Amino acid sequence: MSLLVVATYPVSGGAVICGEASLGTDGELLVGGTVVPASQGTSAMLGAAVQVAWHLGMPAPRALLAGDIGRGDGTRAVYRQLREVAARTQPAVIAFHYMQPIMALMTAALEDLAGASPRSLLVADAGGMYAAKAAGRASRFELMTPDVGEIGFLADPGVTHPAYVSRYLFGGQDFDPVALARRAHETEGSSRVLLVKGARDYIVCRGEIVETIDEPCVPALEAIGGTGDTVTGIASALLAAGFPAADAARCACLANREAGRAMGATPAMRAADLVAALPGVLRENLCRWSGACMV
Amino acid sequence: MLFGKRARRTDSPGAEEALGLFLFAEVTEALAAERTLKAVGYATALVAPPHHLRAGCDLSVAVPVVEYPGAARALSVAGVAVRDWAASAEGTADLCDLVTTVDFGDWLMVRAGNMKITVEKATGTIVNTSGGGCPDIPYLNLELVGKTLADAPRPKDLGYTLCGLMLDRAYVEADALLGEGPE
Repeated sequence: MSLLVVATYPVSGGAVICGEASLGTDGELLVGGTVVPASQGTSAMLGAAVQVAWHLGMPAPRALLAGDIGRGDGTRAVYRQLREVAARTQPAVIAFHYMQPIMALMTAALEDLAGASPRSLLVADAGGMYAAKAAGRASRFELMTPDVGEIGFLADPGVTHPAYVSRYLFGGQDFDPVALARRAHETEGSSRVLLVKGARDYIVCRGEIVETIDEPCVPALEAIGGTGDTVTGIASALLAAGFPAADAARCACLANREAGRAMGATPAMRAADLVAALPGVLRENLCRWSGACMV
Repeated sequence: MLFGKRARRTDSPGAEEALGLFLFAEVTEALAAERTLKAVGYATALVAPPHHLRAGCDLSVAVPVVEYPGAARALSVAGVAVRDWAASAEGTADLCDLVTTVDFGDWLMVRAGNMKITVEKATGTIVNTSGGGCPDIPYLNLELVGKTLADAPRPKDLGYTLCGLMLDRAYVEADALLGEGPE
């Protein structure tokens, strides 16, 4: 059981790197021995996934990354290698994260993966989620993790990027995450399970809310870049460990919130602070939340 | 085919892509734009604009909508005159204009669409950016956090995607609210 994260890192022209992810002594993220810059995005997501895998005694997550600062070059490089890497490693879960949302490449990748790694469950967040939804392939995914700024995008079949959504945003006139999650399912803009991240988190299965989580409430987390990514990383790692998707999503929400409380989150802190707090949170709580108890 | 006329080049953005159109007054400008964008690595296609967007020149350059900000900057730098931009085949899509704020006491967070920027009130220092999903967002996070609003580069000058453009809207609003006053 393993997790493969497909994404980019914020270095212009950065080479393709593929390998196991780990955390260094100072909390820095390494992939195949190469240090990945600490920022919001995939470094936060992978850092959280590393902590979960370590806690559960699972294999470290693997990552296929390339440098990309928004031109799409690294995204294209990653897609070129995805089929070979997936066929060789047969991951239990493949998670698409910060990438240029190029629909044609996502469509081709999904067709490739159906042959190369047919049993892999698929997760999408960030640009990977934008591409999957805009290409009409969201229903192929087991789990997506939109925030309140993105659920309206999934619910509107005519929109190809969240920047074109206004009415359905948090603060907008028609913002209703429950209705939007149902509409996303009905219009095939949704994965089988959705985790809608916000002040109140919603776990949605086939368009129906199955759980809401709003405690502990740590408002500062919304301001900290990468704390939505850590939720996705935790959920992806738990899914790879065999948790059902809705349980993985629920435990991810609880762990992220509890880590935010434990670190004493302020808007000036970093996602790396939350990643550092995760081992203690998992040790103290995951058994009780999930029944997955380490002996 | 999106606009009723086959693209003339094979390295087009792809039939499934959400494409926007750069519109031009002259065919020569459309051709110059295509050359410029291809030279810096964009996937483009020369296409006929839909009838209601035509205004003299029947050639437009299609690029993925998400890459509009960077492509527009490349054309500006190259001195190519663009008449207009249409974000969809119908030309009806508008960028989100919803901006909200959250007061965290010592810090102010500004949301613009799916992007957020958080600034320390006393110093004007950007302490965080969050939201979004395109690859320029982690890059902008590294470039902006720790700098004051006055000293930080504009997200629209460094970013390449619609996420970067929305972050710029949040930046501008934060600057206006905290009185730093970019030009």
